[in-house]
Amino acid sequence: MRMVNFRAPYNTGRLVILLAVVLLVGFLLLPAQFQGLFQRAGSPVGWIVSWPLRAVAGVSDGIADLWAGYVALRTVEAENRELRKELEYLKGQNSQLREAAAATDRLAALLDFKQQIGGTTIAAQVIGRDTGNWYRTIILNKGETDGLRPDMGVVTPAGVVGRIVKTTSATSVVLLVTDPNNAIAGLVQRTRDEGIVEGTSSGSARLKYIPMLSDARPGDRVVTSGLVGGFPKGLALGTITAIHKEDEGLFLSAELVPEVDGERVEEVLVIQSLAVPGEGERLGAPKVKKS
Amino acid sequence: MNVLVWSAFIALMVPLQSVLLPHVKIAGVTPDIALVAACLAGLLGGELHGLLVGLTLGWVMSLFSAIDPVVAMGVKGAVGYAAGFAGRHVVYLSWPMLMLGIFFLSCSAGSVTASLLTLNGRQDLWWAIRAVVLPQGVLDALVGGALYWVARSRFNVEHWLAEYRM
Repeated sequence: MRMVNFRAPYNTGRLVILLAVVLLVGFLLLPAQFQGLFQRAGSPVGWIVSWPLRAVAGVSDGIADLWAGYVALRTVEAENRELRKELEYLKGQNSQLREAAAATDRLAALLDFKQQIGGTTIAAQVIGRDTGNWYRTIILNKGETDGLRPDMGVVTPAGVVGRIVKTTSATSVVLLVTDPNNAIAGLVQRTRDEGIVEGTSSGSARLKYIPMLSDARPGDRVVTSGLVGGFPKGLALGTITAIHKEDEGLFLSAELVPEVDGERVEEVLVIQSLAVPGEGERLGAPKVKKS
Repeated sequence: MNVLVWSAFIALMVPLQSVLLPHVKIAGVTPDIALVAACLAGLLGGELHGLLVGLTLGWVMSLFSAIDPVVAMGVKGAVGYAAGFAGRHVVYLSWPMLMLGIFFLSCSAGSVTASLLTLNGRQDLWWAIRAVVLPQGVLDALVGGALYWVARSRFNVEHWLAEYRM
């Protein structure tokens, strides 16, 4: 009869493993209330082990934070730099797009106005200001070769800008409404009183020779009368801010805020020739769309 | 070659005066760079130089302004000539003296222009002197002084002055 040899080490090991498996399976087969036994028995052990665990975890977290906060920042810094660069680029692009949108709006308004005004008009860009301090003028990028001549009226959808006083082959000089040397026939839109609009030294304008009995008052709009060549009837010149009686004079004069700020205008229309209005149109003013 | 250099210089004056300087207006006034250039050309090159540069600059600048070309040429030509004449009689030109001279010439030129413009009755002479002539004189003097200081620190200005006095 052969005896079991407990001395054989490999058999002991197998036996222990087998026992453990049987116990495990046995516990798994036990009801649930017995299964928590392991947990309850391990609780104090777990508490003891938790101290070094937390300590190591703390160190580990510290190292991780250090890594994330400083060492890994090297990549974040580069990423940040890239993002900043991208932001700057997008800002620039946004600004360009806004400028393009604004230019499109202005040009669309100008085109719309060009169709309303009728006649022949030429669009031009402002490229400079007067080379001296004595006149208020702007320089346009179109001249004689484009058909521009002195005395032609210059307008924007907002109103009258001025009148061309000089031309070269490629540029024109426009004397603004606000220059004291400019004079344009105007009328008060509400009362239909006529006068002459001149610039003043202070950079505004005034309507002179208003009849003494005129009912014109601050807030009234002044438009071109169309009597003198260069401008059609009804283009905005300015708004009355004050009425004065000229000393020992037979007329009133009105201070105006010009409708167009000549210092800021960028694109203009030069009226090359006026359309001959029909019978019905002659009485009404053209619809001026304010930009 | 000299003519080409002067032509390029004069051509550059126009965009400088009409495009760039309006952005640096002080009290609504810009320095008259053409007047300063005529002054410096007269001082450093003599009466004839100053006169020719002044006349040319006056004419070119008047093409881009509402001012009468004859008035502009006359005033700037006279300024250039006067600067040349004054330069011939100055032994040592310090920059404060130069600034004072430019201020005087600018104010004289401005007053003459203002008087001519008031003939049409639409400008007030005293307003023009107060609002345009004096501020422009100050600005012209400052710009001229700065340009002369730069020229003197980089070039042998005394040599130029001595050259045309001979």
